[in-house]
Amino acid sequence: MSESNFTTRFLKAFGIDNKGRSRRDPLNVWVPLISIGLALIAGMIVIAASGRNPFQAYGLLFGGSGLIPGGPAWRREFAELLLKSSMYIATGLSVALAFKGGLFNIGAEGQFWVGAIVATFFGYWAPMAHTFGAMYAALGSFGWIAQLLHSGICIIIGMLAGGAWAAVAGILYVKRGVNIVIGTIMLNWIAWFLITSWLVTGPMTPPSQTFTSGSFYVADTAKLFRIMMPTRLNTSILLILLAAYATWFLLYKTTIGYEIRAIGYTANIGMEAPRAQGINISRRVMQLMFISGALAALGGTFFILGLQYQFPNTAIMEYGWTGIGVALIGQSEPLGVVLAGLFIGALRNGATSIQIANIPKTFSDLIEGMAVGFIALQVAVRYYLVKLIERRRARRNPPADQEVAL
Amino acid sequence: MKALEVRNISKMFPGNLANDNISFSVEKGEIFAIVGENGAGKSTLMNIIYGIYTPSGGDLLVNGNEVKIRSVEDAIKLRMGMVHQEFMLIPRFTVTQNIVIGDEPHKGIFFDYGRAVREVRELSERVSLTVDATALAGDLPVGVQQRIEILKVLRRGAEILIFDEPTAVLTPEETVELFVTMRKLQAEGKTILFISHKLKEVMEIADRIAVLRRGKLQGIVNKKDTNEEELARMMVGRNVVLEIPKVDVEVGAVAFACHDLHVRNNRGYEAVKGMTFDVRRGEIVGIAGVQGNGQDELVNAMIGFSHPLSGSMELNGKNMHMVTTAQLRKEGMSYITEDRARRGLVMPYTVRENSVMGQHLSRPFSKGVRMDYDKIGEFAQGKVKEYDIRPGDVYDTAGSLSGGNQQKLILARELSLPHNFLIASQPTRGLDVGATEFVYRKLLDEKAAGKAILLISLELSEILGLSDRILVMFEGRIVGETTPSKTTEEALGLLMLGVGIEKKVQS
Repeated sequence: MSESNFTTRFLKAFGIDNKGRSRRDPLNVWVPLISIGLALIAGMIVIAASGRNPFQAYGLLFGGSGLIPGGPAWRREFAELLLKSSMYIATGLSVALAFKGGLFNIGAEGQFWVGAIVATFFGYWAPMAHTFGAMYAALGSFGWIAQLLHSGICIIIGMLAGGAWAAVAGILYVKRGVNIVIGTIMLNWIAWFLITSWLVTGPMTPPSQTFTSGSFYVADTAKLFRIMMPTRLNTSILLILLAAYATWFLLYKTTIGYEIRAIGYTANIGMEAPRAQGINISRRVMQLMFISGALAALGGTFFILGLQYQFPNTAIMEYGWTGIGVALIGQSEPLGVVLAGLFIGALRNGATSIQIANIPKTFSDLIEGMAVGFIALQVAVRYYLVKLIERRRARRNPPADQEVAL
Repeated sequence: MKALEVRNISKMFPGNLANDNISFSVEKGEIFAIVGENGAGKSTLMNIIYGIYTPSGGDLLVNGNEVKIRSVEDAIKLRMGMVHQEFMLIPRFTVTQNIVIGDEPHKGIFFDYGRAVREVRELSERVSLTVDATALAGDLPVGVQQRIEILKVLRRGAEILIFDEPTAVLTPEETVELFVTMRKLQAEGKTILFISHKLKEVMEIADRIAVLRRGKLQGIVNKKDTNEEELARMMVGRNVVLEIPKVDVEVGAVAFACHDLHVRNNRGYEAVKGMTFDVRRGEIVGIAGVQGNGQDELVNAMIGFSHPLSGSMELNGKNMHMVTTAQLRKEGMSYITEDRARRGLVMPYTVRENSVMGQHLSRPFSKGVRMDYDKIGEFAQGKVKEYDIRPGDVYDTAGSLSGGNQQKLILARELSLPHNFLIASQPTRGLDVGATEFVYRKLLDEKAAGKAILLISLELSEILGLSDRILVMFEGRIVGETTPSKTTEEALGLLMLGVGIEKKVQS
């Protein structure tokens, strides 16, 4: 039996086996793919209608996206793709996980920035910066241990803070009945203005600088390791893949995930079935919001510790909103979210290149929007797909009642 | 004259022949019943006649003319109307708005509400189906909502009316009213197709009865020439013991007790007004009552969904005041619900996942935080065999099972939880004869095993057949306690309706 097979055993150690897989609906894969395809076709029509060459546009878009190997700048483009994508995957996982539990966490944006600002603070905060700086110097060639510790601590505290921020909305929902969408969206603005209008223009800004300079820079020990010199690529992509795996494991292999999905499946009919089995829904909802927020915050720590090294004054709200689209395209499945995050990352990454063909760089936003739009139409897409499959089956096989007569 | 004729109709679903060469004809002005177990193909057949499904083969004739019914619109044009089991009413619309929707009287582009109300009033007078034309549909009792549905199809000119298990959602009095309505419609010359699996009702209302079993027509019988036993035999293909065997068990200690329990309903009114009773090990206590007399609220308090206003509850001698469902479960409460879709099962979950919900936190189903789906699969496989849950694939979703098999799955789960007190709330609602018998047998096994059982049911035959003691509930109170040997269905029925209570209090 294949049980003895090394690969099988290896995968099984991670909880990955093939049981029940045949039951999965292949439409779950086809629907997002077709939606993306439709969006690309619609984009073609738009470009052609404006008198430009759609093939050239897509050539430039994907050529500059880092998806396709080759070209002089490919290594850099590829690195940038992964850097961008890991943040979109983080917020995508956050939204997707909450969605599995029947919660629409629209607050990934705020949680992302809470994670970012907390990581910034512990990145430059003198006691820690000095401790790990001294450790780095003392350890010599083992200095990476200091970096691992400092950056790790920043990430963990950032995730805890983002989780706590999201849990506020969870607690308001459970204890006071505040709609989770309202709660999280309000917390978005609170977080955003607390950070940008106060923290990084006041207490977290070097006194000698003007208010436009952003926060202090983090210590070198707080930065993420670079893994592909000379590009900026760092460990964020590895961490996010780990997080995606952990999310999958949580959902499908743990008791928490089992309860979360039961809650999510019954969310619009009062969650009575899991409740009647003694599942503590309030507690799970709060935990779920916490984990969801922590995932979004992880993306925020990447933004600071991997890219900016400070909280810049140029930051714009983008990542959490994008995460909603990523979760939708990824059908709220961790693997789907990873792929969708890479796709959105590629679109954003290639956006600047298409300006060569005199197409505004917002064109990639158009495609992204349409892809999400077609996903929203997935009921229709599913309907026509099922019809198509049935028709093909009918053509291949004799009509059903004759089949029975045999 | 034949209003409707069905000739050799077949319908094939992937892997399932739902209708196999069915032929019958219905005379104009006849009440024609179609009975069969859940999944026998009744609904499929009606959906074919009503244009929702297209048949794989066969012909339909309406008033002697061969017709092709490709859509519901076609069916309506042929003057057919369906009263669905689940009402398709908009709660925030008035009765009139609900009746005219889809075919509204209008002045130019404006909806003429005044005329609509007049039309509805005229119609309701003409067919003597009383409704308040301006009331909000959502505020009305279920029986009246059904009347709205009937008026809706009548207004569209329906001559052939299809009733799809219309009594499933009705109280016994509402059922009586419905039958009066159906006879009125018959007197007006309407043709009625009545789908049901309740033999008693069929015997009461139908002129002729067609029996379906596993997609095949077993036969058509005149009501005059048949009886319930014969119909039951035709439906299930073997003798079903409708008589419930008596099991004598020595009654043990008190498992559940409540004292002067008061519970509010979700609108804040007191629905349970001081109930005191206990359930002992080895006995089945039946609570009889017309729906809506506080049974739901009582159950909600007993399973920890709501907290009683006052009074006390004890399970195995422990005070259960203000406890959660989890604590009650831990103390040994099991619960079979009539609301399988909402409360019983997580429909998108597989049989496997549903089978352990409630004990998924204990070994061997999980270790620490990790679920052991291999062990759960083995467990589910065993239960599928033991309870004969069909089709028997543990990877099927609960939602894809028939009602009877869903109930078997719930039984399998609840009875495998460690428990000593079982609440069975209308455990056979919507089930066919075979599944009902299965549930009865399991409940009696439970009793024999010394469990304490509280049975809440609207079916008097069930209460009388299973219970050792009967409590009659009326308007939130226990208005009588008796045993099956000391009472009759008639006496219980009167008590349930509150007849003679005044006298008892005085004497």
